[in-house]
Amino acid sequence: MSLRTEKILRSLDRAYNGPICSVKDWDTKVIPQTIRAILKKYGLEKTCDLENPINCDDDLADQFFRAGWELALELGMLNVETERIIKITEEELIDTLKHKPKEIILGSGSDQVILKARKPEDPTPPLLAASLGIVVSEELYVPIVEGIVKYKKLVDVLHGPSLATVYGRKIRSGTPYETLMGGYEAELRCEALWRAGRPGMAHTGIAGAVTEYGHLGGAAAIGGPGNVTMALCPVELKTNFAVFHRIMMAINNNMRIRAGGFSYIGGYAGPPEGAALANIAVDLLIATILDSDYTSSYVYDIQLLGNCGRKALWANSIAIQAVSRNTNLIRNKIVNETGGPCTDMFMYEAAIGLMNHCVSGASKTTQPRSAGGKLTDYLTPMEAWWCGEVFKSCAGMTRKQANEIAKKVLPKYEERLSNPPKGKSVLECFDLKEMRPSPEYQKLYLDIRKELIDLGMPLDKVYEEF
Amino acid sequence: MKEQILERLCNAIVECDVEQAAKVAQEALDASIPAIEAIQNGAAKGLDIIGSKFNSGEAYLPELILAGDAMKAVFDVLSKALKEENADSSAQLGKVVIGTVSGDLHDIGKNIVAALLAVNGFEVYDLGINVEPKTFVQKAEEIGATIIAASTLLTTSMPYQQDIVQYLIDSGLRGKYYYVVGGGPVTADWTIKIKADGHGYTATDAVEVCKRLVRSGQTPGTFEPVILEYYQG
Repeated sequence: MSLRTEKILRSLDRAYNGPICSVKDWDTKVIPQTIRAILKKYGLEKTCDLENPINCDDDLADQFFRAGWELALELGMLNVETERIIKITEEELIDTLKHKPKEIILGSGSDQVILKARKPEDPTPPLLAASLGIVVSEELYVPIVEGIVKYKKLVDVLHGPSLATVYGRKIRSGTPYETLMGGYEAELRCEALWRAGRPGMAHTGIAGAVTEYGHLGGAAAIGGPGNVTMALCPVELKTNFAVFHRIMMAINNNMRIRAGGFSYIGGYAGPPEGAALANIAVDLLIATILDSDYTSSYVYDIQLLGNCGRKALWANSIAIQAVSRNTNLIRNKIVNETGGPCTDMFMYEAAIGLMNHCVSGASKTTQPRSAGGKLTDYLTPMEAWWCGEVFKSCAGMTRKQANEIAKKVLPKYEERLSNPPKGKSVLECFDLKEMRPSPEYQKLYLDIRKELIDLGMPLDKVYEEF
Repeated sequence: MKEQILERLCNAIVECDVEQAAKVAQEALDASIPAIEAIQNGAAKGLDIIGSKFNSGEAYLPELILAGDAMKAVFDVLSKALKEENADSSAQLGKVVIGTVSGDLHDIGKNIVAALLAVNGFEVYDLGINVEPKTFVQKAEEIGATIIAASTLLTTSMPYQQDIVQYLIDSGLRGKYYYVVGGGPVTADWTIKIKADGHGYTATDAVEVCKRLVRSGQTPGTFEPVILEYYQG
């Protein structure tokens, strides 16, 4: 039995014999009360600084890490089906951090990339996986993906959009349609990568799979150690058997494990400080309980249905910095834009969100989530390219520089966060034959790019240096 | 004395204290305060405070849920008196059956809507996650619901929202329940396409949609849906 299998079975066993707690008590009492108490104990209440949305205070980040460490050890994660807590010991957590690799290889051949642990203000450029699981029409899937992965300097890993249909049929989650879709999506992904001349690019699972059926349907085609499975845990500090199924699938197919758990401002964790604290704890817990090769957790604001407002920017900055400064954990961090393609809103949100993640120490991101990922075919290759340009160019910037830029750009979009523009669909603003944005979209890109360069964002770097 | 009891009832809701809320509700009855007055001038005021605090970022989801529990405890104590006063229907806006549809295990969005509905005067029956279409309808029939609310974060679970409408039509019940849909991928177009009665972009919008529906007095399924959605271009 491999060490990984042994660790996962230990966690699964604890899901059956750990301390009992109902989901309702966990959500409404255990989580909020414990987070409140630990914030108070470490003097972290009301430390969220909305005037400075990107944290520049190392001592504060370290204090958050110490508090997050305690939260992880005190709570553990609740398994939803058995309503039992999977707790970990401090020795197990220390052992996890001691043995996690500082870098892992994704992909194969000339498309291979190295995913590295990063520190705040790290000059090493992070990686970009594209896109998030935005739904696209079946007939547009291959050309959109081909366009997204076209530029090697901008996009490193294929996460991919989701299919609207499978052979013209509606895909119903948890049914044979979804199982069939898993294999079909894998086939289309490989076709698109081959067309783009990047057949060895890493996959991060079946984007359209919402249950284990879809993942299992496609895993065989995109397995192996250069590829990644994706297991997303329920909010807050919870896991379930669907997550364990995906981990077991990764073990069976010799894949890397990416696991995530989100923290919501306004949700069970409470204020921005509480969500940041929970986010630190979930990174530590997932790495230990689910033995992830890297985590994919981030803070989200339930009032704004995204994470590009001041509260979420600050909470993500402090949570990412806390873990980056004190561990070698590799972490994927996502920005949730609300504006759609061909809008200034999307470009500002992506620029500020990704600059924040980059300077705070994220290793990788998955982008874009144009129009909040809500609308079918509201995804073009252009958003992925923009995200790659921004995310990689910001490597080496100081947090202070980034904070000054954020303060100038935020007023350009923050009032629209609760009423964002949906923008244009792919066929309205992008030529998929020529793989070019429409003249309107190109002008918008050039204008905003120049504006941000004038403000100090080093956007030429990605083309000149990397 | 009366004002003091009503204020304590309001405070018990704001403090999310289920036991205290039930105790003070009983004191209100013992002091011969009409049940409808205890609701409207006491407990409901507490819910207003919690709802406003949530919207302004001063209160969070656990408080919303627990305040809803406290309100339910108040109703449990006052239900008999409300019936005697013939005020049980005016005390609440209506009963809502809510859940996340089949194949979807996400619950936080649905939980926020459920909690906000409860603090806005609806009696909420939360079926949880991964709920079969017919289960929504069966529960609505069982408890005499006014509204069925179906949530999903997944495009691949959206067909189950349509199945609920079809089940209502096929079982001859479409005119009996207002049907509202919500969740990440749900849009105005989808709401219209599946012939639901309403949709809100945010949880607060969803509550407003439900209020407008019950106040409309129209027969479900016979009018243009009530939609509060910002992705309009």
